[in-house]
Amino acid sequence: MGVEALAESLGQNILTTTLGKLIGWGRGNSVWPAQFGLACCAIEMIATATAGVDIARFGSEAFRASPRQSDLMIVSGRVSQKMAPILRTVYDQMPEPKWVISMGACASTGGVFNNYALLQGVDKIVPVDVYIPGCPPRPEDLLNALMILQERIKAQGITPRQ
Amino acid sequence: MIADNLVVERGVSAGDAWITVDPANLRSALSALKDDGYRLLVFLTCVDHLLDASRNWPARYELVYELRNMETPEHLRVRAFIDGDPPRVESVHDLFPPANWEERETYDMFGVKFTGHPDLTRILMPDDWVGYPLRRDYPVGGEVVEFSEEHETWQTAPEKA
Amino acid sequence: MSTPEGVTISRTGETGAFGGELLSVNFGPHHPSTHGVLRLIVDLDGEQVRSVKPVIGYLHTGIEKQMEALRWQQGVVVTDRHDYLSPPINNLAYALAVEWLLGIDVPPRAKALRVIMSELTRLSSHLVWMGTSGLELGAMSMLMYCFRERDTILDMNEEISGFRMHTSYIRPGGVMADATPRFLEMLDAFVRAMPGHVDEYEDLLTMNPIWRSRTIGIGKLSADDAKVLGATGPMLRGSGVAWDLRKAIPYSGYENYDFDVATSDLCDCYGRYLVRIKEMREAVKILRQALDKLPDGPVNVDDRKILPPPREELETSMEAVIHHFKLFTEGYSVPAGDVYVAVESGRGENGCYVVSDGTHKPRRVKFRSASFVNLQALERMALNHMIADLIAIIGTADAVLGDVDR
Repeated sequence: MGVEALAESLGQNILTTTLGKLIGWGRGNSVWPAQFGLACCAIEMIATATAGVDIARFGSEAFRASPRQSDLMIVSGRVSQKMAPILRTVYDQMPEPKWVISMGACASTGGVFNNYALLQGVDKIVPVDVYIPGCPPRPEDLLNALMILQERIKAQGITPRQ
Repeated sequence: MIADNLVVERGVSAGDAWITVDPANLRSALSALKDDGYRLLVFLTCVDHLLDASRNWPARYELVYELRNMETPEHLRVRAFIDGDPPRVESVHDLFPPANWEERETYDMFGVKFTGHPDLTRILMPDDWVGYPLRRDYPVGGEVVEFSEEHETWQTAPEKA
Repeated sequence: MSTPEGVTISRTGETGAFGGELLSVNFGPHHPSTHGVLRLIVDLDGEQVRSVKPVIGYLHTGIEKQMEALRWQQGVVVTDRHDYLSPPINNLAYALAVEWLLGIDVPPRAKALRVIMSELTRLSSHLVWMGTSGLELGAMSMLMYCFRERDTILDMNEEISGFRMHTSYIRPGGVMADATPRFLEMLDAFVRAMPGHVDEYEDLLTMNPIWRSRTIGIGKLSADDAKVLGATGPMLRGSGVAWDLRKAIPYSGYENYDFDVATSDLCDCYGRYLVRIKEMREAVKILRQALDKLPDGPVNVDDRKILPPPREELETSMEAVIHHFKLFTEGYSVPAGDVYVAVESGRGENGCYVVSDGTHKPRRVKFRSASFVNLQALERMALNHMIADLIAIIGTADAVLGDVDR
């Protein structure tokens, strides 16, 4: 094969980009959520993974039972005072870079339960990237949150958190 | 048959039959009712009558045992009024096994001590929690919501009687 | 995590039947197979379970305290959220209790709509149970099939109440709104299609050798044990006791419907599965009858002290405005007294014990939850089984942790 022919065929098959963009693209399209169901929202989270909505279209169908293998914690439901230290332990066990979606009114603000038993917003113990309103949010809302998160991850590049 | 001398008062509330017994006789009354066929303890709970003006209550705490005869299917509610700090009453976990967790929950939420219970520890709240949340003088808690109804009293408990 | 006080991990170091030491293993609360945030402390002898101690409360929401801070009509919203797989059934228990205290009776159409919503919820609750239990025992496709039909039910919820899961549809004095013609069409199509779908589930599971070997003979609970431990719902009927509140103490007009109580004499996980399959078929039967005999008429009691006036009246009637204002600023008060109403949910007897002191807020609301009581039978069922069977046993006990912890 001549040099010209080689250059011609390679010319159509090489993309140039920055390393940050490449990593962001890879990370954004393979966000693995931790399998961390708490309450009502967890049922809608399961529904997001089923055929009707199909979170697999966005590369996030691999719900990992071990926090060590996951990048995203979806706090799906109300967090009680008794559960809070455990939630934080799970979060600490996840490897960097990691993201948190606060799914539903209870996880975001305490929701209708403004009382002694619940943590009034999960952002008191873990940093939250995307909040979803709703009680519980629809599966489509969770997909929307995931897409917002993906945009953010892609923009972050190599260094996700300052 | 439950002896009449165990029953302090009887009545019907919104279609449900109930009897009141002296707390000292509670265990023997429940045991007699179990022999009568009321074999299922549907639930056990407590009601705090602090600052309740609807009636002249004999004591602050009212223990409620809902019994059911699954053959007929009749219901009977057994009440016992107790006072004291902490209020004490005899456990019935050996008569009715479901009472085991129900008594722990009542202890957790109201601070009622069930004497003779094998493992009377908190069941719903963390073990180091202070206070008994369902008592009426325990605040609802949470965060103050501006412009909401009664937002000043939301976090504070009613004053003592 | 350190061991909380009061949790005794006592048997580690004891010698087991095979000569080895007993080992205490912590299971949960963050574990994919515990149906939520259930924590178990299991003493293992090799692979065999020697004792199980459930630790609950990780989803304690303070619902009963919250109810005391809310007015009577606001409480409906909170009842939705304790057993989050069967919201209308919880609404129904609360609404019936408040109606008993108020001494009112709802119109026949409201009763029929309540039955329709209860049975739809029972179906969706059983579908979630079957999907997740199938997933845990290796039948992954069950999840896809079951959630397909569940979504149809949720679409119907949305059509009739505007919300997918927590409908708050049944409320004291009637229901939120009348059924729309589209809802009735959807229901008709669903009732036609559902028996075929249940056949599909049975094709996948009933004769499936893996499903059978993982459930038959596992988690035995004799009828006597089930009665003594206070188990209700499919746990009790799976042990051969034909006890169903819809038959024993009928409510909301269930005595007018023709259906059978599903039971199984197998007393094991497979028996409980068969009961749930049968219940799904019976629920479709009830839905068909309710739809065919749906009476005409109003869906709410005609009492302006309890329910707000229709929107169009507010523009013409001063009295309607006053009633509306009073209802949404102060609420209504309920005569002093107490009442217990029990309804049959997908998990068993879900009851509501309401105490009123005559004011516009409840003095005490206690939810009798089926899961809380059924979970106490776990140790009896799991004893001397393999640890892998524990998953099947927790699965078929079908405890919803929101219901357990409230």
